[in-house]
Amino acid sequence: MINKRVVRYVVIKILVYLITLFVAFSIVFFFLRLIPGDPVSRFIRLIEQRYSIQLAQVTQEIINEYKRKFGLEGDIATQYVSYLNRVFLEFDLGPSFLNFPNPVQDLIAWRLPWSIGLLGAATLISWAIGILAGTLVGWKRGSKIDSIMFTISLCMSQVPFYLLALFLVMFLAYIFTIFPPRWAFSPTVTPGLNLAFISSVIYHATLPSLSLILISSLGWLISTRAITITILGEDYLLFAQAKGLRKIRILSRYLLRNTLLPQTTGLAMSLGFIVNGFYLVEWIFSYPGVGTLLVQAINALDYNTVQGVILISIFTVLTANLIIDLIYPLIDPRVRGE
Amino acid sequence: MTQQKFFVQRITRLLSSLSKSTLTFKIGFFILLSLVTLAVLEPYINNYLLRGHSSTEIGLFPKLLPPSLEHPLGTDHFGRDIFSLQLTGLRYSLIIGLLAGGIATLIAVVIATTSGYLGGKVDSALNAMTNSVLVIPTLPILLAIAAYIRMDLLMMSFTLSIFSWPWPTRVIRAQILSLKERPYIDLAKVSGLNSVEIMFFEILPNLMPFIGVGFANAVIGAMIAETGLRLIGLGPGDIPSLGLLLFWSMGFGAIAQGYYQLVLAPAILLILIFISLNLVNIGLEDMFNPRLKRITGL
Repeated sequence: MINKRVVRYVVIKILVYLITLFVAFSIVFFFLRLIPGDPVSRFIRLIEQRYSIQLAQVTQEIINEYKRKFGLEGDIATQYVSYLNRVFLEFDLGPSFLNFPNPVQDLIAWRLPWSIGLLGAATLISWAIGILAGTLVGWKRGSKIDSIMFTISLCMSQVPFYLLALFLVMFLAYIFTIFPPRWAFSPTVTPGLNLAFISSVIYHATLPSLSLILISSLGWLISTRAITITILGEDYLLFAQAKGLRKIRILSRYLLRNTLLPQTTGLAMSLGFIVNGFYLVEWIFSYPGVGTLLVQAINALDYNTVQGVILISIFTVLTANLIIDLIYPLIDPRVRGE
Repeated sequence: MTQQKFFVQRITRLLSSLSKSTLTFKIGFFILLSLVTLAVLEPYINNYLLRGHSSTEIGLFPKLLPPSLEHPLGTDHFGRDIFSLQLTGLRYSLIIGLLAGGIATLIAVVIATTSGYLGGKVDSALNAMTNSVLVIPTLPILLAIAAYIRMDLLMMSFTLSIFSWPWPTRVIRAQILSLKERPYIDLAKVSGLNSVEIMFFEILPNLMPFIGVGFANAVIGAMIAETGLRLIGLGPGDIPSLGLLLFWSMGFGAIAQGYYQLVLAPAILLILIFISLNLVNIGLEDMFNPRLKRITGL
């Protein structure tokens, strides 16, 4: 049943999403314009250095033509308007230096599925493991398994993913050569919907996702455990136990369902943080995702691609947040006002 | 005068309660204190070990020596003593982390007190801003800035703090909102204190532990970002923090060539820093937030 409350909720969420997106994109624009010098002359200098040649014939006309292509013409207000126009209306992120003159969005489009696939799977797996384990150790609080798990979580939950990734590469890819150290699939398989390719992709994704799952699930464990222990003190749980409900029913209907709600909000809040850490993991494994592209673009001083990756990351995270917000009424009847 | 006396009293009570702290806090504090001590003594230790040379000086020793009594971790591919390098790296990592964390906490206190004190629309606007910076992936922006702008130590810390203030702001704001409603604030108002006095003598002393929690949070955030951007070779090349040591080792291909200590040493030191900061952080929360203590049960 769709009622007024849900419609109001959805409209507000979408409005907030659009405003946040607009503000974030504007902030990125002005932040990047703070950088001294202009990207075009910097790029020409870079070419001169790299190939040790003098581009004496670079005339002002060519520079102007490049500036027009890159949307760097006129004063900052003109640039801002043309930037908004290109990004929001034409979905154009400008030409890339890395793969000139192909536009940045083409470069990103090939890599985005790899990033979203790996990151999405790893995030959901760690979230599910963390909530299940957290509910269980909260339920059994004070036991040996609880104190061991909780202590490990307290120690390791703030270690960045990329440090664990370094350890995993060292031990599981080089000292014991169990997993491949780089790339997303074996060069011997043909990409496509065949079993060899899919199993190769999963095999290559194991180590990078493991570095995220191992640490992230510990963070979810800590917060879920805290929520579970609060719920265990509630009257309705005491009543459920007094009624003689089976343990499995109390666990699934009373505990898990109530921890799921705050943890869904928690997932939305932490996505940006997870993406931050994940980009460097990608780079460590040379995974063909957006994070590796970002590092390559930064090393090549590819201004447009860097800006494009920043915008795509913000867009993806905010959209994922919106999706979580829109799913929320489905799992929480209270928002629906029933 | 009486207010100042109260202020001092509260601070001493705070310090004495540290001695009655939880095991979590003690372990974390002990590790952190040892690391900080090592970092503070670094110039003297390295001066003694290297006889006045700098630990980053290239070609001081033969290249890639295996671990020995003279070089506990061996030497690297530039002929530098790895052990001495770690000490230098530890020193710079901690300096940048603490500096950036300090600046971020300062920003957080200003924003949180303004927001908590003025309330209403200002509060919602500042809160929305904090939340959106939290939600947005900020590392790519940070990397872009670090790639294009030449930075020194102070500039670097300042840039990192721009991206790590939201965590402490949330912690401190939540606490101010709860403190504002306490009866003794009303009592202070009735007894004729003005709002600035209430802020400084009534709210701030009770806020101290949470500023500590926020500071630990901000230092962790700043150090994760700093190590991340050094790991890919950005930032000042003449300031060898642990992240830059990792970048040098990775660039050399230390893992593939089997010189594991080159990667393990800085990575383990960093993990120790993160673990100890987190334990101190959680210990502080346990001590000063009795509701939370009941939940964590440690």
